[in-house]
Amino acid sequence: MKGKTRFLILVSLVLLSLIASITGCAAQGAEALPPQERLRVATTTSLYDTGLWGYLEPIFEKEYGVEVDILYAGTGIALEYGRRGDVDVITVHSKTSEEQFVAEGYGLERVPFAYNYFLIVGPEADPAGIKGWSPEDAFKKLFDTGSGSFISRGDDSGTHSKEKAIWKQAGLDYEVIREAGQWYIEAGRGMGPTLLMASEKQAYTLTDMGTFLSYKGKTELVPIVDQGSILLNVYSAIVINPEKNPKTNAEMAENLIYFLTSPEIQELIGNYGVKEYGMQLFIPCAGAEPTS
Amino acid sequence: MALIETIDLQQKYDKQYILKSIDLSINRNEVFALIGPTGAGKTTLIRLLALLELPASGKIYFDRIDVTHSKRLRLEARRRMSLVLQKPVVFNMSVFDNAACGLRWRHENREAIRQQVNSVLELVGMADYKNRNARTLSGGETQRLAIARALAVKPEVLFLDEPTANLDPVSISKIEEILAHIIREQKTTVVMATHDMAQGQRLAGRIAVLMHGEILQIGSPGDIFSLPESRELAEFVGVDNILSGVIVARDDNLVTIDVNGSLIQAISNYGLGEEVHALIRPEDVTLAPHKEASSARNTFEGRIARIFSLGPLSRVEVACGFPLLSVVTKKSAEDLSLTVGKKVYATFKATAIHIIKRWN
Amino acid sequence: MTELWQGLVKAVELIISLDPEVMVVAGRSLRISATSATIAALICLPLGSFIHCHRFPGKRLLINIVQTLFSIPTVAVGLFVFVLFSRAGPLGGLNLMFTPTVMILGQVILITPVMLGLTISALSGVDKAITDTAIALGASGFQMAVITLKEARYAVVAALIMGFGRAVSEVGLALMVGGNIKGFTRTLTTAISLETSKGDLELSIALGIILISIALIINIALNRIQQR
Repeated sequence: MKGKTRFLILVSLVLLSLIASITGCAAQGAEALPPQERLRVATTTSLYDTGLWGYLEPIFEKEYGVEVDILYAGTGIALEYGRRGDVDVITVHSKTSEEQFVAEGYGLERVPFAYNYFLIVGPEADPAGIKGWSPEDAFKKLFDTGSGSFISRGDDSGTHSKEKAIWKQAGLDYEVIREAGQWYIEAGRGMGPTLLMASEKQAYTLTDMGTFLSYKGKTELVPIVDQGSILLNVYSAIVINPEKNPKTNAEMAENLIYFLTSPEIQELIGNYGVKEYGMQLFIPCAGAEPTS
Repeated sequence: MALIETIDLQQKYDKQYILKSIDLSINRNEVFALIGPTGAGKTTLIRLLALLELPASGKIYFDRIDVTHSKRLRLEARRRMSLVLQKPVVFNMSVFDNAACGLRWRHENREAIRQQVNSVLELVGMADYKNRNARTLSGGETQRLAIARALAVKPEVLFLDEPTANLDPVSISKIEEILAHIIREQKTTVVMATHDMAQGQRLAGRIAVLMHGEILQIGSPGDIFSLPESRELAEFVGVDNILSGVIVARDDNLVTIDVNGSLIQAISNYGLGEEVHALIRPEDVTLAPHKEASSARNTFEGRIARIFSLGPLSRVEVACGFPLLSVVTKKSAEDLSLTVGKKVYATFKATAIHIIKRWN
Repeated sequence: MTELWQGLVKAVELIISLDPEVMVVAGRSLRISATSATIAALICLPLGSFIHCHRFPGKRLLINIVQTLFSIPTVAVGLFVFVLFSRAGPLGGLNLMFTPTVMILGQVILITPVMLGLTISALSGVDKAITDTAIALGASGFQMAVITLKEARYAVVAALIMGFGRAVSEVGLALMVGGNIKGFTRTLTTAISLETSKGDLELSIALGIILISIALIINIALNRIQQR
């Protein structure tokens, strides 16, 4: 009998803690909010790895009384989430893909809100000897000589699209590049992780300024090529079209667009990271497409 | 109708018939033994009667209800029976909980369960083991627990499959004592399968002999052991003297049988010329050094061919025109100075001979 | 080695200081996986009993399929669940994508084969004489299933532990359908994945140690039940 009661007590304890944790789940008010009180944002990795979203999220949540779910994606998968209506708004940086997205009716409007520049980074030793060259020439030399490794995002992200554009501008077929040799590596990861990989492998990679700065202490990479009009990097926010996906939180998504392009927030975006890194990570552009 | 009745019951595994055409009636309050060698089908038959398995064909009636097929009726009937398996297993819980299982499954109330379980554990002498984990019991203790467990539910019929197989003599007698007590006090109908014929003789009121899946004979222990109806049965029940011969003379019901040239007198209703077996139990053959005057009709002179020691007894094989086996106490053997080669006179009464028809 | 040591130190620091972020993430891992394990158990114990006790055509094939699904890759289940629950998918109307609920559902799908297969295996190990004895004592079908589970409890509890283990340690499904959203669907495993890819190895190691500790504690607790 004694053993039996002990057993029952044990079982009840396990069950109780289980129930407690499940109901605790409900008690945590935020988590139990119905879907309309949440805003889902799929963001390109560079906006996340720089910490910008971590900075802006609480401000927006407080002002609008909503829970923001940030999904760390890559432009490619972010667009897919958008098509499926699994998110309410996307913030990405691939102009051509975005324009097509809107043209196909999945997004309402492409609203640029900040920009910076891409740059090619690499090891200080610069084995391929491309420091200071133009992006197109640098890429061409990498292909011709194979004297340095290059890590590609390889994930249809905005950065990846820019990389492909540079190859094209250099007169090279991307499919050929992919088979070009061991020096070309497709990482399939976000910007921050790709930088770490490049550092590890002493390789070159294309990155946006924001992420590169915020990862300064973590890598041994230095800027190699940072001049060239092709390197312009524009971040836009797109509301997912509620007509295609009626369940999305289009109203709150519009609020986010308004928020991002409002003067106060634009100022915050412009000042982000200046103290820490000595220069702007993002340049605000309030809805207008920046020229170089 | 009897409490349990089977009509043309058959069972098979993998196309082989284990039981062929079994017809049985078991009456309320009787003690019924199924006897037979290993592999005869006793366990199979018990399992069918206890409604554990479905027969291949035939019918079973319990308390006049056809319980051959209906799941619901079978469950209801099963709750009025109990079965102790040949190798009983105990559940991984205390002795008390084991014994209480059946009652708990019938949703009896706690107090009633406590009283009943304590009472049956007392009956089998396991009251002190109440809180022990049943898995720690010895073979004999496990058997007693299994019996207690079966009795706790106050069954109308108690089935026992080889209740004392694999046990030492002390445990065997303990268990037989318990069974005897149950039979006396509780008037439970008992159906037991055993290969121990002496046990069947000791405990049962009626015996059915099962061989090769068929019932050879049903009757009282006396009938089976003294009056087996076939040679095979006779051999099984230990009638060691089976003499083959022909009836050559008759006088009322006293017949003379020619066995290999020797003449034997016995009581029988068979006619002249019939080919018969004369069955004589070795205990009924007495030996003497001289021809003694007695009322026995059959006395033969012969020589001792072999002597076997069998515990406190001696089996003496005598050659007297036909082989004759006698069993005497060792003391008698010593008193008579029985040795191999010695001349003796073997005697048996006409009434001690059981005549059966010869089929081969 | 220093990294591991630093990770261990950091783990202890985080636990002792009850670092809120770590606690939240650990609690979420535990909650999600414990819930899925419980739901799976509620499905697998009766279902396993039923399959074990009954004969039916295709039984062997069914068990084979179940065993094959033991080691189905978590990303495969993740993909399946994603396509199913995405707003563009058939169950999209439920609005469950990127919520803990869909993670629980996905994990239930993931661990049911393991739990079911091992439960059936456990029940098969019970001596037939036990079921015979139970039937002979007048047990109904349900009562018999219960006693068989009880007799097999050592192996059955092992099946439950196995299921929980698989749930709490998987990453693929949690990432795909959960989205690793900070403060909402981030679990220990997805956090480890993120922190590692961001290069913050110390934190990853710390989280890893916490994860293993949780698994160990659950294991010990369930072990107690086994011993009985």
